[in-house]
Amino acid sequence: MKPLIPCIIAASLLSGSGLAVETITYANFIRQFQMPAEVAWDASSAVAANGSRFSELAINPGGARFDLWTMKSSSLTGLTEYLLDTSYVGTYVPIASIVIRSEDGSAAVPRTRADRPYFVDVTVDGLRSGATDPEPSKSVKFLKHVQSYGVNGTGIGIDRTQATLLTQSSITTNGMQTLTYSITMIPGADRSKIRGEERYSVFSLEDYQAPESQLASKYIQVWPVAEATITGIAQNELIRYSLPTITLTLTDLYPNSTTYAQVYKGDPQLGVTGTIVPGSALVTNESSPPTRTLTLTDYGSVLPTDGRWTIEAVTVTPFGTERVITPTATPATVTFDLDRTIEMNGTFTTIE
Amino acid sequence: MKSLALISVLASLVASLAHAETVPASPMRDSVTREQLVAMYRQASQNDPMRKQVPTKGPDPSVVNQPKSLISQSDTLCFNGAVTLVPKRAILQIPKNFEDRLKYVLGAKLMSWEEFYALNRGWITTVEVSRIQAEGNSPLAAETKKQLVKSKNLMIATYQGGPISVLAPKVPAEKSATTITTTPKP
Repeated sequence: MKPLIPCIIAASLLSGSGLAVETITYANFIRQFQMPAEVAWDASSAVAANGSRFSELAINPGGARFDLWTMKSSSLTGLTEYLLDTSYVGTYVPIASIVIRSEDGSAAVPRTRADRPYFVDVTVDGLRSGATDPEPSKSVKFLKHVQSYGVNGTGIGIDRTQATLLTQSSITTNGMQTLTYSITMIPGADRSKIRGEERYSVFSLEDYQAPESQLASKYIQVWPVAEATITGIAQNELIRYSLPTITLTLTDLYPNSTTYAQVYKGDPQLGVTGTIVPGSALVTNESSPPTRTLTLTDYGSVLPTDGRWTIEAVTVTPFGTERVITPTATPATVTFDLDRTIEMNGTFTTIE
Repeated sequence: MKSLALISVLASLVASLAHAETVPASPMRDSVTREQLVAMYRQASQNDPMRKQVPTKGPDPSVVNQPKSLISQSDTLCFNGAVTLVPKRAILQIPKNFEDRLKYVLGAKLMSWEEFYALNRGWITTVEVSRIQAEGNSPLAAETKKQLVKSKNLMIATYQGGPISVLAPKVPAEKSATTITTTPKP
């Protein structure tokens, strides 16, 4: 019995070391930076999680910058900071806001797909036009940055100072204007595999007390077009007796999507709603595109009769229902002939 | 035999009708191909809506004027499994026995200043300062200075309850000029 006790202790120690649980806590901080004095005030306690209120600290003629941060404390990785937003406020500096809209309104950060359109609403208020008004009160700068996340990148922890400034223009009139973009301009040779973000910002003009400062900024994430391959059954294969195992490889599924394989009788035909192959439905609700491989077996129940059948991959996204394509740009469909009928050839004779 | 053939034809007709009901046409489409996307990209790059606005030039302000890291602009207060951040120069006095409480301990629970202070009033004392004092345009009150000397607690400058950085008092122009002229003399 005695040797068993050290064994149990050793096992528990080993299992304990393998199950190091990460403890994570978050806190939000709002900092007000007076310009040009650079006095920093922690306004976190004075501001509720939602809503708005006036700052207790009066703003100097030079203005003030408000930064909203989220801090993360991890028992494994320590402190990590995330700058959520920053905005400059000044006596005669205009106010700006940006809203980015896409067909996918399900995420906190606007997102779309490499082939889909989106819209940018820019609103500027407080612009002046008097001859004696200072220049920073007469116009603001509007910037567009693009930044690729790279192959299989998720955008987590990217250095946004490395983004490419694509266009900059001047806005001199108050009001809202909507810019319509039919497709992303993020650089990349394979346009279907773009993953990255486009950022739109409004900056004030340089003043004698403050540099060009951000008034508003928003970004939209762009994710690649999904692909699928069906292996295990060859095109036009004749299947007798037992059904082969099918491997369904789904690449770059849209973060918020439902993908499945369906079968229907006959040759491939766009728009047919077939029967979902058991074990093939995959519902994703993530922050970046997942890639999954599914193994399909025992799917004979959805092939009740012999004949010609088609199996294809379908994805349902906020952009609609689509037949997924393969890396070679053809629809991910496989058509096969099923013949499970056993024919007996024989003779029956009787002798009297 | 003829009736059997008729029945089988009718049965297959019914089956095909039933099949047609289960597969109605839906607004499904094929995913876009790479070739289609290249064509869309070419067209979109020629129709950038920002081209209709007045173009400007100059360095990228988002690179030049990015807010500095919050951690680099803060001091950490960490004690008893809790941690918070206060602006640098908000700590007016650090007694030697509390120096280790300025070091972050891995996994400490993050909380706002308000929450942290509520739990640590025993060793932290706050000193309310005015905006002018924080900017260094007015010295701290004599009473506050006395409190700093006497107190054995860690002292934090606050404005309306929130920690605030206190800049070094600005030396008046006349005095600084005097200092410059008098300093080199032995």
